[in-house]
Amino acid sequence: MPANRFNAFTEYGIGIGLRIPHYGQILEKKPLVDWFEIISENYMVDGGRALHVLDQILEQYRVVQHGVSMYFGNATRPNREHLRKLAKLVRRTGTPWLSDHLCWGSVDGRFTHDLLPMPYTWEAVEWTARNIREVQDTVGIPVAVENVSSYAEFHASEMTEWEFLCEVVERADCGILLDVNNIYVSSKNHGFDPYVYLDAVPVGRVAQIHIAGHTRYERYLLDTHDHPVLDPVWKIYAHAIARIGRTATLLEWDDRIPSFDEVHAEALKANRYLPHANTIAA
Amino acid sequence: MPIPSRRSVRIRPPNSVQPKLRDIQRAIAGALFRSLNSDEGVQPANAMVAERFIKPNDRLSAIERLQIYHQQYWWRLLGALGEDFRGLHAVLGESKFEKLAVAYLEACGSYSWTLRNLGSRLIAFLEERPEYTRPRADLALDVARVEWARVLAFDDPEKPRLKAEQLAQTPPDRLRLTVQPYLNLLELGHPVDELLSNLKRISAAAVGDTVAIVDRRQRKTVIVRRSRAPIHLAVHRANFSVYYKRLDPEAFRLLLALRSGATVENACATAFAENKKRPGQIATQIQKWFADWMEFGWFCSLNSP
Repeated sequence: MPANRFNAFTEYGIGIGLRIPHYGQILEKKPLVDWFEIISENYMVDGGRALHVLDQILEQYRVVQHGVSMYFGNATRPNREHLRKLAKLVRRTGTPWLSDHLCWGSVDGRFTHDLLPMPYTWEAVEWTARNIREVQDTVGIPVAVENVSSYAEFHASEMTEWEFLCEVVERADCGILLDVNNIYVSSKNHGFDPYVYLDAVPVGRVAQIHIAGHTRYERYLLDTHDHPVLDPVWKIYAHAIARIGRTATLLEWDDRIPSFDEVHAEALKANRYLPHANTIAA
Repeated sequence: MPIPSRRSVRIRPPNSVQPKLRDIQRAIAGALFRSLNSDEGVQPANAMVAERFIKPNDRLSAIERLQIYHQQYWWRLLGALGEDFRGLHAVLGESKFEKLAVAYLEACGSYSWTLRNLGSRLIAFLEERPEYTRPRADLALDVARVEWARVLAFDDPEKPRLKAEQLAQTPPDRLRLTVQPYLNLLELGHPVDELLSNLKRISAAAVGDTVAIVDRRQRKTVIVRRSRAPIHLAVHRANFSVYYKRLDPEAFRLLLALRSGATVENACATAFAENKKRPGQIATQIQKWFADWMEFGWFCSLNSP
């Protein structure tokens, strides 16, 4: 889907995550980058350097917001103060869409600061879809929900992860931020076929794709974002592009961050899979 | 009215009996919030939660899967707290700081969506629980106060600055000034500003002595002695960086009085109530302070919300 209502009919190419170690080079040398993804929470502050840098970035680049703590899957409604600050940042950045994760992360106001996996139950579908709708209504732009990497599954689950994702996005009428690295990591941790997952995703709802690196431990994979993208993930990405079409793609690199040039070069490898995408889009 | 399209992928089974989502989340979060055992082994209560809610697979038991999240929670929060309170870490040493951090996080947790606020209750915790910082409780508290002030000064709001002509338009007996939110005013018993600057310079590690902090590699020592007189410190922001500025006691009292809403005239009277200087000297001193503070942008516009 080159453009759809879940990415506000934009046609963004390959972007990278805006990270502090790269501020200097970006502001000084103004490298050619199609767009930057920012972690919303890093800029939901009232003053200081982060907002100052962001304003300079916004003068030169297109920015899309990605959140890490809205916790759509919490069994509570979204925090109003959090939403107010998020909406304020949306007005500042002009982000065409925003994303956060298909997960939960706080209980009774106490935060884990993690992206915890959902039990794939019908009740969870209802809570999650309702929370996404509330966020979408408040911010006034399309919201895309991202599948997470997970290391645990629940006895209570009544469906697969991809069925859960489909139920949620249909009921919330929202977009999908398809993280192909997360699909791969979870497929290895839970023993499912990543291509079955991918083929179940409603392509018309995919607003954006994430690629990233992970770490292989003896008995599980961990989503660390501290490596280049590994071959099996590129293969899944290629399959996704073949199915979905040219889609805004973002490389996440959050730990042991190399130079800006190295991160950007890694992201641009996605170009290998993009040129023919429009001709074979579903 | 059109009915919104709701294409369900699966047929919902009727009357399925499930634990409530909130109960699952409370149980799992409760397990994560329990401290890790000293050897990062299994908490017995967590084993029960894992068995009840989490599926094992062919490589990991239920509790092992829960442990991945349990460890991530503690490593993430301990790391974030250690980053914000590096000076306190150095003063207490590795082991004591970790015990304090675990106790603090168990008792207070994180009630904000941002880790920026993780240390917001640490000062109150240190005041209530000095056993975690003895025999350096006073120093630890001073260091924590400065380090928390740094967090606030870094990104608290900056309101529109007061202009000189606005200041001149209102007589001092009616003029009330608002102080910038990012300006933190602290009275300390130790020269924490010097300590933190030295620690930053030599990347020091803590040792057992109560007053010396030594860089093990370079054998450099930072000496911390209780000051004979209280130190008055402004922790503030300029050009998006955090700075320390020592203040005279009268200047400190004046700024505190202004922040509490006193008129400029009353604030000056409060600040110099016990000062024996001649009025002319005092007036000159106040003029110089106000000139400096205006330059720093410490006063907000009178119309600021």
